[in-house]
Amino acid sequence: MSLEYRLVAFLALAMSLMYTDNRYEYLDRVRFSVAYLTTPVYWLADIPTRVSFWIDDVFVSQRDLIEENTQLRQQLLFAQRELQLLAGLASENSRLRELQEASQAVQGRVMTAEIINVSNDPGSRRVLINRGAHNGVLEGQAMLDAHGLMGQVEEVLPFTSWVLLITDSRHGTPVQVNRNGERTIARGSRGDAPGLELEFVPDTADISVGDLLVSSGLGQRFPKDYPVAEVTSIVHDPGQPFAQIRARPLAQMDRTRHVMLVIPDNEAIVGVPMMFDATTDVVEDTPVTNVPEGASPAVEELQPESQPGSQTEAAPALNPAPGSAAQDAAGGIE
Amino acid sequence: MIPKANGIWVILLSFLVAYLLAIVPVPEWAMHYRPQWVMLVLIYWIMALPYRVGIGSAWMAGIFTDILEGSMLGIQAFTFAILAYITLSLHQRVRLFSSWQQSGIILALVGLVMTATYWIKVITGETAQDGMLFLMGALSSAFVWPWLFLLLRQLRRGFDVH
Repeated sequence: MSLEYRLVAFLALAMSLMYTDNRYEYLDRVRFSVAYLTTPVYWLADIPTRVSFWIDDVFVSQRDLIEENTQLRQQLLFAQRELQLLAGLASENSRLRELQEASQAVQGRVMTAEIINVSNDPGSRRVLINRGAHNGVLEGQAMLDAHGLMGQVEEVLPFTSWVLLITDSRHGTPVQVNRNGERTIARGSRGDAPGLELEFVPDTADISVGDLLVSSGLGQRFPKDYPVAEVTSIVHDPGQPFAQIRARPLAQMDRTRHVMLVIPDNEAIVGVPMMFDATTDVVEDTPVTNVPEGASPAVEELQPESQPGSQTEAAPALNPAPGSAAQDAAGGIE
Repeated sequence: MIPKANGIWVILLSFLVAYLLAIVPVPEWAMHYRPQWVMLVLIYWIMALPYRVGIGSAWMAGIFTDILEGSMLGIQAFTFAILAYITLSLHQRVRLFSSWQQSGIILALVGLVMTATYWIKVITGETAQDGMLFLMGALSSAFVWPWLFLLLRQLRRGFDVH
């Protein structure tokens, strides 16, 4: 019967599409062009939200506006005070980094975007944002909100992009504990509650409830040192090889609409490879054990300020890093 | 003998509305209970106009769903083609059923197609495995079917779609 033949033909077509889409990248271009058709649908679906925002904006009393305005002024004042402190810290940090000959990796430029839709598949946590290839969005860009890291761009379409959130169970975020630098990977938790789980953390690791997790930048996808999550619970089960640690993302995953995309600076893109180039160049000049060699000038520069003329001969051997030099300085003050 | 097409735009418009309802953001807890609007509209048109809407149209509707959701191309095209085939082979009987019997058929059909979609998505790593709660969508689909059926029948008769 012809019905069965048609069924088989269409099923075969669908399967070959799935195979091609899974294995090769030809279909990405097709998907990109067809997105010109789907974008209006999303635009239409977003109208109710925009209307409600518009109503919020229009029907608001003057008293509320004044109140909000004073509140915002106050917040701005606080934020600017912190920014002033930050400027001092940033310059101090860059000086220390120069001493350590580490690469400069502070990234400041961001692009704002709005979340216009949420994936309707309950098994995946993805959002659609209103910026796409025409706005210069790139695959793999990190997305933040005002409180922390949210996710990364997974698929770029002409005027929109899909962003995979860090709470998706297929997503792992390289993080480190802000308190002591303990590195681990935060994976989106399975099940309904959106959260994060720290994977393969030994029972002896120094992580406690309330610790702030920041991005470690090790996956080379996310910029370093953005806040990611806060540890909420730790269970040491003797029957399990690893501790079960849960964390709550700091970004307001399901409440915020306004987000930021981190624009990778040119220096930041080249930053990591350049560091490798630098080491290979260094290898030509100095021996491979360049850690004490590289650090010793820094130690010499520091010493006249802290301890003039004591243990100068032992210092290069004992102080391989400026960190321990600082410890020495502290010891000298005591 | 297939009559000349009339009022195809009504079919297209009903699909557009179904797509809109399928992607309109809902709160997290309501995610699992969202009726499968596109499948319901597709089933209705296949049952009403089997000579006009068939496996090919279902396949196209599936592809558009895939693109809209940003999932792997072909997943819903595959399952929608199966849905169309089953509906086509049942449509003459189901037309005679009372509305709650039709709802039962819808429950089974939508549940089957959702399960198939879920399996393919889990196998290809498109989605994470988390329980069978998604089948609530089939239940809510069966629940809204009688009203949707009446509405679409009114539309079909009013605009003389055939």
